[in-house]
Amino acid sequence: MADEKLTEVTRVPLWDPEQDDVLVCRQVRQETHDVKTFVFSGREPRAFRFYPGQYMTFDLPVEGMVTRCYTISASAARPYRVEITVKRVPGGPGSNWLHDYMVPGKEVNVSGPGGEFTADATGEDKLLFLSAGSGITPMMSMTRTACDLSEPSDLHFVHAARSPADIIFRDELALLATQNPSLKLAFTCETASANHSWSGYTGRLSLQMLSLMSPDFLERKIFCCGPALFMEGVRNMLQQAGFNMEKYYEESFDFGAETAGDLEEYASVAPEISDQTFRVSFPKTGHVVECGPGMTVLSAAREAGLLPVSSCQRGICGTCKSKLISGQVDMQHGGGIRQREIDQGKILICCSTPLSDIEVEI
Amino acid sequence: MRSTSEIQSLVNRRQKNKSLEAPFYNAAEILDLDIDVIFGKHWIFVAVDPELPEPGDCVTVEIGNASILILRGDDMELRAFHNVCRHRGARLIDERATTIGNIVCRYHGWSYNEDGELILAEHMGSGFDKSCHGLKTVHVRSIAGLIFICLAKDAPEDIEDLARTMEPYIAPHDIAHCKVAHSSELIEEGNWKLTMENNRECYHCEGNHPQLTVPLSEFGFGFSPDELDERRSGDVKKYLESVARDHQRWESCGLPSAEEDHLANVTGFRTMRLPLSWEGESHTLDTKVASKKLLGSFTDAKLGGLSFWTHPNSWHHFMSDHIVTFSVLPLAPNRTLVRTTWLVHKDAIENQDYTLDNLTQVWTMTNLQDAMLVRLAQLGSEQPAYEPGPYSTFTEPHVEAFCDWYIKRLQNHFAETKAELAAE
Ligand code: FES
Ligand SMILES: [Fe+2]
Repeated sequence: MADEKLTEVTRVPLWDPEQDDVLVCRQVRQETHDVKTFVFSGREPRAFRFYPGQYMTFDLPVEGMVTRCYTISASAARPYRVEITVKRVPGGPGSNWLHDYMVPGKEVNVSGPGGEFTADATGEDKLLFLSAGSGITPMMSMTRTACDLSEPSDLHFVHAARSPADIIFRDELALLATQNPSLKLAFTCETASANHSWSGYTGRLSLQMLSLMSPDFLERKIFCCGPALFMEGVRNMLQQAGFNMEKYYEESFDFGAETAGDLEEYASVAPEISDQTFRVSFPKTGHVVECGPGMTVLSAAREAGLLPVSSCQRGICGTCKSKLISGQVDMQHGGGIRQREIDQGKILICCSTPLSDIEVEI
Repeated sequence: MRSTSEIQSLVNRRQKNKSLEAPFYNAAEILDLDIDVIFGKHWIFVAVDPELPEPGDCVTVEIGNASILILRGDDMELRAFHNVCRHRGARLIDERATTIGNIVCRYHGWSYNEDGELILAEHMGSGFDKSCHGLKTVHVRSIAGLIFICLAKDAPEDIEDLARTMEPYIAPHDIAHCKVAHSSELIEEGNWKLTMENNRECYHCEGNHPQLTVPLSEFGFGFSPDELDERRSGDVKKYLESVARDHQRWESCGLPSAEEDHLANVTGFRTMRLPLSWEGESHTLDTKVASKKLLGSFTDAKLGGLSFWTHPNSWHHFMSDHIVTFSVLPLAPNRTLVRTTWLVHKDAIENQDYTLDNLTQVWTMTNLQDAMLVRLAQLGSEQPAYEPGPYSTFTEPHVEAFCDWYIKRLQNHFAETKAELAAE
């Protein structure tokens, strides 16, 4: 081996998934109110070889053991550590465990990297990235990599978030765009809250909005990542616009691992239909019922023939506290539950009405 | 049964600088009086803020027959209530520590909000007035993170003196950013006053506390200058020099260190930042910090140990890296609960920044040694040959201060009762 051709750092051995399987957490960063980035490296120095957009598979010691895939959000051009960026999902055991317990020094078993969702943003192609929510992570890895290597050749980066406070990597993307003129950014938020000044687009991503954000999108290669409903919407929109779908690539941001929260989150912002009913499922017993407008989860459970414990039935006593596995509810409680429990995905079923299809653990 | 007037005459004939007469240590009626007058009317140290870090966190404490629940509300303020449902008196919270939304009685579902107001009581009819059935409140006060409660209707106001004096001493140790690393409950087989008296002197340290006396000098609590042999007078000289030198250094970086003695207050207390031996960092066997993550914004580990004592029931040690607090609660004439809590920086990681073994061993050993001594003292007080013996004015002035305070508080109580009777 021609050692003299190597710099000192490149003597760091490559991460070999056949042999290496323990990552050590080195840093945790709070990106937004419910998103954290976890920085890892090997026990001993290792260089990671991955394509931007690939993920790693984590074994997390929760409820016995769960396996979850998380996209690497870091630049592939900074190979000595990997980062994942994870949103806390109500009722999501993996993301909640990471948020609550993963701290610097902690070790975790992993495998990978794996996955084929990747694009070379420094190449010839004109690209358009379309992401929503945590779907931003593979896009971020591709963008960071391209910026580290040289500069993206021609990249439009469109991201949809729930509110300005939910835009992950907002500052860093703005900085990258300042430094790289060939990177163009556009954000849209479902709602612009009063607390954050917001001058970007507001509302769900539409064809009209997209033509303003990326006027030549028909000529671009499109990478899309986000909740399934978001991607479905994007596909319909592109087909409608006559886009050549051979140039369209998509990835579910979570590979089916923890779909619950974000999927439903998107469903909840779908256009309101007044006489909508929602599907309320109780996976433990397998019961499923349709729940009409204004019906509480407790009533739905009774309708299904279940007898969940309850007492006050007005959100005061906390007896009916249950875990919301997925979906969104409107809860009008009377102090029987604390914000931190709500943050952990708990609801009082006596005073909660579904805002989307939901799964409840009773 | 001893009558009140018999107790009163025991109180009045107590001789200064002598231990108390035996009934004070073993009579059930005097313990009842202590719980009523001392623990029922004074500020009692019961917990630390990091035991209830978030809204809805709740701890319960037993003082005599009273169970008190302390709750942190959504506004992050503490509230304390008698842990008794206003319906048929069931205990509301049965755990030592838990997290709750509203306060709900599991017996018949009566529910109180975090301010103790009754908000739900079913089947009570339309004439029932919920507003007269709120929980009974208890005074609660956090002094820089140390939680005191007072069961009396009118709590002693000189808690303000304690707060004013102590906050500058304690605040730099930043209890708010600590976590409970460990806590222990030890039942000593002795009267609570023997536990306190034992704590107020270090006469017994050299002979009993091989671990504690590594960091802590027995001379920090007084000594008799004329009886010291050569080795000990050298040690005393060195100790006094280190007090002068360290106090100057600590004061110059904004850490109050001088002795403050307010032991005669109704809310009696005393503090002083004591130099520690060898490395001078902490109450550990190697006298180095037990936790690598220093408290507050400290960068220097050698800050000695700030000692803080309160009447009637606590003592505390604040080091650069950790804090140990002690709460003493009577259970029976001859049984006393000592609850010890070790705090470290909330970001300190176990087995990385500290190990529990190293953090807790000095005081775990010392507590066990003290429990043994208290047991022996208790057994002595029950023997026919026991009679009050003299305290050393050199090494036991603070024991005398404690007993003097205790006797005065009882005298004050009898005087007040008499005045009330006369007024009727
Ligand atoms: S039954 Fe009381 S909170 Fe739901
Ligand atoms: Fe002792």
